Amino acid sequence: MEDALLGLMALSDPYLLLLLVFATLGGVLIGALPGLNATTGVALLLPFTITMEPIPAIAVLTTIYCAATFAGAITAILINTPGTSASATTCLDGYPMAQRGEAGRALGMAAVSSTIGGIISVICLMLAAPLLSRAAYYFAPPEYFALTLFGLSMLATVGEGTAVKNILSGAFGVLLATVGIDLLTSIDRFTFGYNELSEGIGFVPVMIGVFGISELLVQASQLDVVRKQVIMKKIMLPSRADYKKVWKTILRSSGIGTFIGILPAEGATVASMIGYNEAKRWSKTPEEFGKGAIEGIAGSEAANNAATGGAMVPTLALGIPGSPTAAVILAGMMVHGLRPGPTMFTEQAEFAFAIFWSMMLVNVLFFFIGLYGAKYFARITFIPTQILWPIVFIFSIVGAYALDQSMFDVWIAIGFGFIGFMMRRHGYSVVPMAIGLILGGMLETRFGQSMIMLDEQWWMMVTRPLTAFFLILTALALFGPMVWKKLFTQRDLKNATGSRSDSAFKKNSGE
Amino acid sequence: MNKLSINDKSRWLVPLLICIFCSLTYWQTTLFETVPEILKRGTQPSDFPQMVLFLIAGLAMLILFKDNPKPIAKLEPKVLKTMGLLVGFTLLAEIDMFLGLGVFAASLSFLWGEKRVIALFLVGVLAPVIVFFFFDFIFEIRFPRGILTNIWYG
Repeated sequence: MEDALLGLMALSDPYLLLLLVFATLGGVLIGALPGLNATTGVALLLPFTITMEPIPAIAVLTTIYCAATFAGAITAILINTPGTSASATTCLDGYPMAQRGEAGRALGMAAVSSTIGGIISVICLMLAAPLLSRAAYYFAPPEYFALTLFGLSMLATVGEGTAVKNILSGAFGVLLATVGIDLLTSIDRFTFGYNELSEGIGFVPVMIGVFGISELLVQASQLDVVRKQVIMKKIMLPSRADYKKVWKTILRSSGIGTFIGILPAEGATVASMIGYNEAKRWSKTPEEFGKGAIEGIAGSEAANNAATGGAMVPTLALGIPGSPTAAVILAGMMVHGLRPGPTMFTEQAEFAFAIFWSMMLVNVLFFFIGLYGAKYFARITFIPTQILWPIVFIFSIVGAYALDQSMFDVWIAIGFGFIGFMMRRHGYSVVPMAIGLILGGMLETRFGQSMIMLDEQWWMMVTRPLTAFFLILTALALFGPMVWKKLFTQRDLKNATGSRSDSAFKKNSGE
Repeated sequence: MNKLSINDKSRWLVPLLICIFCSLTYWQTTLFETVPEILKRGTQPSDFPQMVLFLIAGLAMLILFKDNPKPIAKLEPKVLKTMGLLVGFTLLAEIDMFLGLGVFAASLSFLWGEKRVIALFLVGVLAPVIVFFFFDFIFEIRFPRGILTNIWYG
């Protein structure tokens, strides 16, 4: 309780409050611009926080995360282009509503459900993160190794690639994390004589490369896309009838979003898809979905914003990112010398609670910004690509340079821009690679420590209950979907063959 | 299982490149120094990267035999030219980072269809200058010396 109050007091600094208002505006701006999303935005703006104290720096990054996740709905509703992938399902009903002159109502519902989803998830974060960290306090290296492995196994379902490609991309990230001096033996690996590589490949230049510069190359192939905005008269709060129709959907999606967010690596996009599908499944009028159902907007938006708070639970409590954007925020924490994990709530509790309160505040802020500023933010989407992206590139390069003031980081960013673009072109998502890079160091260190602890008998890991539990979860995450698919295919096949045999029997018997 | 067609370049090219990369990287790991057995605690520095490389190569083989590759469209001329501009930037940045940024930004904008001089001035001159002074004054970042930055740094 004392820590929560101290965190709240840290947030009462007028400078920090002003910073958060600007960060909210910046986040909404980023989310509203097609091509830029929360992850890219946080990666690009991370270098701007280098001169700040840790609390304002991380509060700014989490604010951008929450605000950008919400703002994706603005363009999804008004121009049928999701500002972020998490808002893709909002397009399905938001744009049809806008086309029939209900853009204001749709945006109002998006703002309300996003705010409620966000606030519920922050409350869960405040309650769950300290509890989880207390449990994790008793984790030894084998448990951490198995947990990190579980986090990495969840990469199978993130991004746009297939499960195998995602895991390969994640493994590539883990391999990149081995560059530099080995922490256990102090021996150089893959440094090729470059001193700049002895501390490893920097997270920030890689993030800027794979999310920012590779997107520039993607944009180069999408220059002919024409965006048409629907005219919006005025934005309005949902009516009493609307609330009556959607309150259950908002609560359900908030729960789904928070839970999905807590799962390592699963972010707002998955949450919004499940939230939308569940809203449709429970609806009395599922046939209206896709044609402008207000429940669709509520289901999608409450879930994707709830996932932001949920994603911060494992990020802060365990040091395992709950979403791609949380992975960049985690990198930001490391840059600022913070160590997310169980000790955060004993040694830096004030910091953790300040982050919680800032997330709570941003949810209230973007409600008003969303209601009164959506019309103006939607216009920003019409900034020509040929003006916007050269400026984004300037920020990317200067940002990559600024952190360590090294041109080597600029080359890293450009190199990973090319790598990221080629990966995306061939169906390999870059998100698992980024998360693999962040978790790779932890995975190897914990593995090495476990080997020392277990006297090089790695199989002893399975004799530890918690380690075995996480290893089983890892196996389920990796092979569960395949086994289910196979089982269902066989059952379907059996049913199909069964019915065919029946008909064949009937035919033969002359019936 | 999908039939493997040897003529299907998109199917085998990427996994093959990944396997070549893994082989070369594995060879690199064999060049790492090792800790003497008597001092060794846990693993050798090459053990973990080698494990990851085996995993990557195994997954690449799985992709080769199991994946359904989608046809990949040829790179559009504008994408290729943008890549060329990026290479140009890396060369020009050796002379001066902000000269490189200005030239790249203006050229990219022009390449992507911007013909208005005022817009090209905005992205090629004004934006780099604002970003330079913003980082110089607010964040006290010292940029690498070059023919343009020397004008300010003296």
